[in-house]
Amino acid sequence: MRRALPWVVGVAAALAPLALGDPFLLHVCILVLMWTLLGAAWNVLGGFAGQVSFGHAALFGVGAYATMILYLKLGVAPWWGILLGGALAAAASLPVGLVCFRLRGPYFSLATLAVAELFRLLALNWESLTNGPVGFLITALPQIAPFGHPVDWESKATFYVMAALLAAGALAATAWLKRSRLGAYLVAVREDEDAAEAVGIDTVRAKSVTLALSAFLAGLGGGFYALYFRYIDPDAVLQIGLSIEMVFIAVVGGLGTVGGPLVGALFLTVLGETMRHRLQVGHLVVYGAFMMLVIRFMPEGLWGRAHRLFVAVQARRSKHAALGG
Amino acid sequence: MPLLEVERLTRHFGGLRAVGDLSFTVREGEILALIGPNGAGKTTVFNLVTGFVRPSAGDVRLDGASVIGLRPHAVARRGIARTFQIVKPFPGLTVRENATLAAFLRHHARRDAEAAAVAVLERVGLGARADRLASSLTLVDQKRLELAKALATEPRLVLLDEPMGGLNPSEVDVAAELVKSIRQRGVTVVLVEHVMKAVMRVSDRVVVLHHGEKIADGAPSEVVKDPAVIAAYFGKRAA
Amino acid sequence: METFAQAVVSGVLTGTLYAMIGIGLTIVFGVMRIINIAHGEMVMLGMFGAYWGQTLWKLDPFLSLLLWTPLMFLAGVLVYRLLVRPILGGGELNTLLYTAGLSLLVANVALLLWSGDYRTISLSYGATPLRPLGLSVAAPLAIAFAVALGLTGALWAFLARTNLGRAIRATSQNAEAAVLMGVDVERVALVTFGLGTALAGAAGVLLAPSLYLYPTVGELLIVKCFVVVVLGGLGSVPGAIAGGLLLGVVESLGAVYVSAAYKDGIGFALFLAVLLYRPSGLFGVGR
Repeated sequence: MRRALPWVVGVAAALAPLALGDPFLLHVCILVLMWTLLGAAWNVLGGFAGQVSFGHAALFGVGAYATMILYLKLGVAPWWGILLGGALAAAASLPVGLVCFRLRGPYFSLATLAVAELFRLLALNWESLTNGPVGFLITALPQIAPFGHPVDWESKATFYVMAALLAAGALAATAWLKRSRLGAYLVAVREDEDAAEAVGIDTVRAKSVTLALSAFLAGLGGGFYALYFRYIDPDAVLQIGLSIEMVFIAVVGGLGTVGGPLVGALFLTVLGETMRHRLQVGHLVVYGAFMMLVIRFMPEGLWGRAHRLFVAVQARRSKHAALGG
Repeated sequence: MPLLEVERLTRHFGGLRAVGDLSFTVREGEILALIGPNGAGKTTVFNLVTGFVRPSAGDVRLDGASVIGLRPHAVARRGIARTFQIVKPFPGLTVRENATLAAFLRHHARRDAEAAAVAVLERVGLGARADRLASSLTLVDQKRLELAKALATEPRLVLLDEPMGGLNPSEVDVAAELVKSIRQRGVTVVLVEHVMKAVMRVSDRVVVLHHGEKIADGAPSEVVKDPAVIAAYFGKRAA
Repeated sequence: METFAQAVVSGVLTGTLYAMIGIGLTIVFGVMRIINIAHGEMVMLGMFGAYWGQTLWKLDPFLSLLLWTPLMFLAGVLVYRLLVRPILGGGELNTLLYTAGLSLLVANVALLLWSGDYRTISLSYGATPLRPLGLSVAAPLAIAFAVALGLTGALWAFLARTNLGRAIRATSQNAEAAVLMGVDVERVALVTFGLGTALAGAAGVLLAPSLYLYPTVGELLIVKCFVVVVLGGLGSVPGAIAGGLLLGVVESLGAVYVSAAYKDGIGFALFLAVLLYRPSGLFGVGR
């Protein structure tokens, strides 16, 4: 019963916004879930493999553009488009990894920045493919009715369910990674790459597979963005700011943890959107401030710190119980 | 056929020739010591054999198949393991986790890998400390862990880079016995070492390097009397 | 031929300013091993300092240099002491993320205060370009170039001739040895960060009459700055100068002969190539 409690609470919390039905609340929740997905995507590479990328917007953008182009030019239904977008982002990540993984530490981070900017310039200038600065706009989404219920694309609830499924999937993937052999290999790569090679770990392959998974998730996020906001252009989906936000969410939440991205997204998105509502510009000031505070005072992130406190409280309680208190 | 054949191995770093035209073989089941004054190129040989550095010329063959050009993980997979002169544990992980990572090479399931790892830890004498953090170990235990990681990959040949460095005389004795026990389990050993007492006790054959070249190759008792070797260590007058 | 010469001259002028920004970043890296992502925002603050100086007090930007440079030095010292030093023990990547946070914080505070509108400074003497040797050169850029040259020369003299300058170079080459030689590494770090910030701010003031000013300009500048310091080798002052000039000229020629749209891209492609094949910089002096 006690073990089921967190799950029950979680599901109830997830269903609450649907029950309440307020569009603004649903919008913020959708954003939180989308950023959870993106934060989890970044966390897979940055938190687990220890490779700090400042260019994840490129993968997000590939997913967004792929979904749009497949739908508007080839008539591929957007939900398939999202999955294909993720796959394309994963494919795109392979040559990127080939180039960037030759470098370590801050040099790797700077290289990803340059690569992402190159992607943005391509999107801006390759007009025949991407419409350049004009971008793409979805005016109508297809009428479908799975299981006999027509989907209402105007309702936020539809997108909320989609976003929730995507975010849950990302967190599940992260949890799987943590327990797998690849996850263990990634820890080794993070701790000492040479020692990892010496015990037979193919570090390049481990990093590439992880990057592909990370890219797939980011691409899914991009596809979702395209569907939800219905408009994309290079500035919206390929700019550095997006990359930085993904990093911040993962770090503030807790690097290398499963729940971190959710906590980080909840915290930063809610604060950020509240500020955006009040101030119009400069709402990211919250992100900057919290990033600094977390690194200074809570490097394990909000989730990491909460987890540590939880464990400490548990330990004290069982000590009490053992002492008959 | 010898287990390991090193043929005319050469490596330049800019203008410096670290290893020059080096050839020697290692028979299966023997313990070979690689000795020589500091800067003779011994660690470079290890780096060349295990794929951390590419040779400028020459070949290295395991069981007749060349390992040149393979990345270090592939060399480990073929069956050559190594330790590092300055130990490289995974500092934030426990002893057990360190060894398990190495065991994953041959056992895909976590449970099997852990079981194999624990067995290796027992053999090197770290069984009782399996749950300690690698960074909290004493030097002797860190060296044991370094060895355990290499052995957990179930190699045919293990290269030990100065395993006795920094150990006191009684620890050296224990280490020497450990090296012998490795051979007893069927793993061939090549070790680089400065501690002569250990070299004499443990090795079947000795290869002496000086300025990257081989100057002697034979049984320990003969090599020690070789004038070229004495000259290399102590200068021409002493020889 | 004239287009070529024009492009090269234009590239050299802009490149000198890139170099100045790059020097600021590279000396901080050399001494403290940190890559300060907020460096771009320091330039931005200098730019806005010049703007407000002119708008509020009718102060000519090039004169306001005398005001803003020492203030930025002080700001750098304070930022180092209060914000940066406490986290230095946390490792390279943590520091990188922290300065990324600072960068976002400063840029957004600037957005809050001054809005995202693009601003420009117009100078009475800026309208007519100078025409040396038949080429056309904007007057403010030419003055900026001359001042930048002077400041860089002064910095070089400082590093080469004064004790503090030598201490900075020593710490940059080998911090442990410097400590053993009796260098007050803390003081060196403080001064270096201040100097780096002052150089960034000064470059901002000098560039202000020649660019569009907006609070998030730091994003673009920091990426260019990285290109400059990696080209020249992280930690090397002559490298940053060479890297800055190279980037300026490559961009300028690229805009004319390849494509104006992709001119930034050429810089990035060069950057990636250098990172891959000569990570210690084109001159092999970086770390």
